[in-house]
Amino acid sequence: MSFQSLISGSECAAPANPLSQVLKHTESDRSIQQDRFSGPSSSRLHRLPGTSSTVATDNDLALARQFFEASPSGPAFVPSAVPELLSHPHYKDAWTAEQQQQMRTFELNKSQSQWAAEFDGGASSRPISLPQQAQMQQNNSAMQQMPSYMPQAGLYGNYMPRNNLYSMGPSMQNYAPMIADKGKGKSREADFEAAFAQATASLTSGIVEVTDIEEALEATTLHNHTTESDSTSVLDHVQKAEANPPADDLEKWATEFQQLMEAQRDELDYGKAMQEAWENGLGSVADSTTSGELPMKFDDVGLPILQPYVFSTDNKYLDPSASVSSPLADAKALLDQNGSLSEASLLLEAAIQKGDLGEGGYEAWILLGETKNMDEHEDAGMRALVEGVKRAEAAGASGAGMMSLAISFTNEAMDRASHVMLLRWLRARFPDFAVSEETANAISSNSSWDTHIKVTDLFLNLARQQHSQGIVDPDVQIGLGVLYYTNGEYALAKDCFESALSQRPRDYLLWNRLGSALSNGNKPEEALGVYREALQLRPTYTRAIYNVGVACLNIGAHKEAAEHFLSALALQEQSSGETSDQLWFTLRRALVSMNRSDLAEQAQGGPKSTLDVFRREGFDF
Amino acid sequence: MADDLKVAGFKSSELIASLGSAFESYSPAEKTSQIKKTNGVFEIVVKKPQGPSPAAQEATWTIDLKKAGTVIKGKAPPGTKADVTITMDDETFVDLASGKLNGQKAFMTGKLKTKGNIMLATKLDGVLKGTKAKL
Repeated sequence: MSFQSLISGSECAAPANPLSQVLKHTESDRSIQQDRFSGPSSSRLHRLPGTSSTVATDNDLALARQFFEASPSGPAFVPSAVPELLSHPHYKDAWTAEQQQQMRTFELNKSQSQWAAEFDGGASSRPISLPQQAQMQQNNSAMQQMPSYMPQAGLYGNYMPRNNLYSMGPSMQNYAPMIADKGKGKSREADFEAAFAQATASLTSGIVEVTDIEEALEATTLHNHTTESDSTSVLDHVQKAEANPPADDLEKWATEFQQLMEAQRDELDYGKAMQEAWENGLGSVADSTTSGELPMKFDDVGLPILQPYVFSTDNKYLDPSASVSSPLADAKALLDQNGSLSEASLLLEAAIQKGDLGEGGYEAWILLGETKNMDEHEDAGMRALVEGVKRAEAAGASGAGMMSLAISFTNEAMDRASHVMLLRWLRARFPDFAVSEETANAISSNSSWDTHIKVTDLFLNLARQQHSQGIVDPDVQIGLGVLYYTNGEYALAKDCFESALSQRPRDYLLWNRLGSALSNGNKPEEALGVYREALQLRPTYTRAIYNVGVACLNIGAHKEAAEHFLSALALQEQSSGETSDQLWFTLRRALVSMNRSDLAEQAQGGPKSTLDVFRREGFDF
Repeated sequence: MADDLKVAGFKSSELIASLGSAFESYSPAEKTSQIKKTNGVFEIVVKKPQGPSPAAQEATWTIDLKKAGTVIKGKAPPGTKADVTITMDDETFVDLASGKLNGQKAFMTGKLKTKGNIMLATKLDGVLKGTKAKL
C-alpha cells in the first residue's frame, strides 16, 4: 500500500510520472466492472443490484461460517463477564478486554441478523444491509485500529473525562478508515481475516498500552473526580445496550467532541487571539493585493448568504414580440425532448421575468436552478434554488427543491449547509418522523462533523423504519447517499445511489450521482461506464460531460479530458447562453497537464471564436 | 518555480510542488473563488521520524488561501499569519492527498495534530485533492 502511495501521487499531480498512470490502470479491481459494467449492455446495468447481491451472498455465507466457527462462545459471554469485571481490581485492563469482546459480539449479532435478512429478503434487504456491511468492515478495521488508537487517546487526555474513552470506542466503527472498498467479494474477505487475526494478536499489547495511558491521564486530567462513578455507569450501559450502543455513544461522543473543539479554542491565550485578530484585520485592509472578494458569509442557521440571481442580459425570449405561448411550458417541453439546457434556462429566466412562475410561485425558480446545475453553472444554480426553496417553503410545498439545493451545497464544499438543508427536507417530507429538539438546535450551531453524525443518524433510522415496513424510498436513499458523499465516504454513497437507481433506472441525475461517487472514490473506469448511461438518457447533460472529462483527467488521459471539456463548451456556445467558468478552469488544468500552457492561456472564456483554435491544434470535438 | 518547494526525502514534497504549480496556473477568477471558499492560511508541518538527522525529519510549507493564493516553503511570511498549523507524518499527508484518508478520520485517529482553527483543518482535504467530480 505504501508503494502505491509512493507512485500514484495526488489527483492534481502533473503527470511527471507516467508509471503512476499505468499503475492506476492495473491497480483497480475489475471484478465489479466485469460483473456489471463491462460492455454497453444497458440491460446488464439495469439489473445491477440483483446481480451483485447474489455475488455478495455467496461470499457472505463463507464469511458467516468463518465467523461462527471462530467465536463459538458468542453473545453469551458478555453478560456474565461484566459483573465479574466490575469487581476486578484492575478493571481498566479487564474493561478493555471486555470492550473488544463486546465489539466482536456486537458485530456477530449484527452479522447474524443481517445475513438472516439477506437469506430471506434478497434485493429488498440489500439497500440497508449494504451500508451495514460496509460498516461491519469498518468494524473490523476498527478492531485492528483500537489497540493502536488507545495511545492516541492521550492527545485528548487533557480535555476528556476518562469514561469517554469508552464512548469513543464503538463509535470508531463509523470513523475507521475504510480498507478495501474496492470489489465486493475477495478483497473484503481477505481483509476480514487479516483484521481479525491482527486484532487477536494485538489484544495483549493493547491492554498494556491502555494502562500507560490511564496513568498518563491521571497525571494530567482535569476531571479526575468524576471518573469512578461514571465508569461504572458506563459498564452498566454496556451490559444493557447490546442491540444499538453506537447511537447513544455517538451522541455522547459528539457532545464531548463539541466540548473538545470549544475547549481547544478557549485554550488560546485570549490576549494573543485578540492580537492576531487585529493583525489579520489590519492586514487585509492595508494589503493592496487582496482580491477584493469577501469570504463566504453564513446566516445563523448555517446557510450561506448569497447574492441574488443575476439574469442574462441578452435574452431573446424576453422580446415582447416573441411567441405568445408560455415560456415556462416551452422550457418544460424542451427539457422533456432532451433539448439544449442553455436554451431551456433562458426560457425559464424569461418566464420568471414575465411573472410566469408556475406552481406556487416557486416551480420556475427551482426548475431554473436545477437546469443551471445540469448545465454546469453551479453558482447561478445555487442562487436560483435558494430563491425557489424560499418560495416553496412559504407555499408549504413539502421539500421541493431542497434535495437539489443540498447537493449544490455539497458540490461547493459547504458541508454544514448541506446537512441543514437535508434535515429540512426530511422534516418537510416526513413531518411525523420524530426529530428531537436537541438535534434540531444542534444543527444550526455545531460543527459540520457533529451535524454529519446527527443528520446521518436520522436518515439511517428513517431508512430502517421504512425497511421494516418493506418500503425502499429512493429519495431517502439519495439523501443518505449525499450525506455519505459529503463526508468522503464514497463507497457507502455508491451503495445508496445504486439502491435508489434500482427504483428509478431512467433517472439520469441519479446515474450522474452514482458516477461521481465512483469517480471521487478513485474508481474512474467504472465511473465512466456509469456516466455514459446518464448521457445515453440525456445527451445534453453538460455536467455529466464535465464529469467524464474529470474522470479522464484522473486516469491520466489528459487530451481526451480536454476534448470532453471542449465539446461541452461547444454545446454551450451553440445556444445563446453563457459558457461555464468551471469548464474553462478545468480545461486549463488539462492543458497545463499536457504541458501546453500556451493553449491554457487561450482558454479564458472570452469571445466565441476561441474554440476553433483548439480544433486547429488537433483536438477532436 | 515549484521546484523550490521540494524537500528531498519527503514524499509529500512532490505533492506540494504539484499543488504549487496548480495554484500558479489558476486564472485570477479561479484563484479568487478558491480563496473565497477556503479563506485561510495553512501551515503544514510534515514529520519524518526515520530521517537521518533532526533537520531531515521535519519540513514546513505554508498554503495561503486567504490573500495571495500561493504555496511557499517554510513558515508564513511576515505580514501573513497562519490560521492553523497542522502537523502530520509524511505517510498521512500522502494519504490525505490521494483521498484514502479524509481530514476528519485523520484527526480522530490522531494522525493529524492541529493548533489554531481546527475547523479550517477540515478544509484541507478539499484543498489538496485535485479535480473533483460533481454530484
